[in-house]
Amino acid sequence: MNKHPSNQAVCQTDPSFIEEIRKIPGGDKILDCIQCGVCAGSCHARFAMDYSPMQILKMAHLGLKQEVLSSSTIWICASCYTCASRCPRSLNIPAIMSGFKHMAMKNNVKAPIELKPKFHKAFTEIVGKYGRMHEPALQLKLTKKTSPRQLLHNASLGVRMLRKGKLNLKPSKLASTTRFSRVVEKTLKEET
Amino acid sequence: MKYAYFPGCSIHASAKEYEMAAQAVNKQLDIEFVEIPDWNCCGSIDAVHAYNPLLSVTLAARNLALAEAMSLDIVTLCSACFFTLSRANNVLREDAAMKAKVDKALAEAGLKYSGGVKVRHYLDILTNDVGLDKIRQQVKAPLKGLKVAPYYGCLIVRPTGIQKFDDAEHPMSMDRIVGTLGAEAVYYQDKTRCCGASLVITDEDVMLEMAKSPLLTAKKAQADCLVTPCPMCHFNLDAKQKDIESRFKIDIGLPVLYITQLMGLAFGLSPKELGLHRNIVSPSKIVEKAKASSQVPTKVS
Repeated sequence: MNKHPSNQAVCQTDPSFIEEIRKIPGGDKILDCIQCGVCAGSCHARFAMDYSPMQILKMAHLGLKQEVLSSSTIWICASCYTCASRCPRSLNIPAIMSGFKHMAMKNNVKAPIELKPKFHKAFTEIVGKYGRMHEPALQLKLTKKTSPRQLLHNASLGVRMLRKGKLNLKPSKLASTTRFSRVVEKTLKEET
Repeated sequence: MKYAYFPGCSIHASAKEYEMAAQAVNKQLDIEFVEIPDWNCCGSIDAVHAYNPLLSVTLAARNLALAEAMSLDIVTLCSACFFTLSRANNVLREDAAMKAKVDKALAEAGLKYSGGVKVRHYLDILTNDVGLDKIRQQVKAPLKGLKVAPYYGCLIVRPTGIQKFDDAEHPMSMDRIVGTLGAEAVYYQDKTRCCGASLVITDEDVMLEMAKSPLLTAKKAQADCLVTPCPMCHFNLDAKQKDIESRFKIDIGLPVLYITQLMGLAFGLSPKELGLHRNIVSPSKIVEKAKASSQVPTKVS
């Protein structure tokens, strides 16, 4: 509650934030939010968030860009779409949350848990390289600077999976004849 | 019935048994899966999408283009892939600027997508293309006395703009299949509650808390097992069940089966070909119950 914008003496507002949000898919409806609270009440992960989805949308309206992009909310949203399926104004809240994550990563806004932006980057790199996910590679990329306890915990899950043949040690690769890597390269050049 | 089959990344790793059982069940139901050659990752709901939205849509579009070249609609076993591929269809239709960039990228591989492919989840195929009557005809070992908690999770019933084959608040498609198999679909409040999804990697504590709910309410409803159509949910409820138990110091012990595995048991197929040895929380009690209730002896695995 201490972090609530209404409890802060001075907030920096960014009037251009709304225009930036409009460029996010689904963000064009940001001002349609009537602050009814159905999203906050429905959210399965709200218990772990600093701000509820409803509060984030209000903060967005107010131009509180720094607070929104550094919240834990945007990183905890599991894209379950419960909020979106009940929103009386049909806001695509998960898409907006995803857009905020994208903005945060592009603007180098520090996430509450470092692992989260690392996960997005690592996942994208592996899929871009192999064309398919490869869990051992993902674990490797995310395990640097991880505590020994966490490493042991992950290892025990890894063993559980390996025993049941649920982990492929070798990555699946697409045939080079597919020119998949050229599709990825072209996309990486286009993305601004 | 023939479909362009999109497995998705989990199917070839943690969720192999889902596909094993689907292939076995397909033979009984005259469903033909033609795997999309050199398919790539669907593009992810959010893992890639939040980092690079254009790449995410392009990845999905490549699969759509490959299916279009096969002149078949796509069927997928994974709820997340179902959502991601469907979303790409919508985006390419509504966002001309993004479509132009995606088209250029696909052209690098000589691919083109004109928007003609339907994306469907296997549960939709079973409900609408196959139908309950045909499923009932294949039941050789009705699962009498088995109490099953159908767990839908999120992305097979939401958002309502993507899928339309079941109700977002009270879906019943899997409940009806469970009933057709001779088992009882129990009522419990968490059939569409989120399992935590990829938070299993980025925020495990939160995921464990989230996945705990459906397991506990299903247990309270006296379910013998859960059944699910999603590899992500299956992982969080099955592979992580031991971690949920030790974190909260509770006892759950509920096997989690894929819908195809449950169907296969009722069809009298062997547990081995249904991949039941790969489920982490042992489904042996369910297999035994299936054998005990069956009218004909099931094959020994």
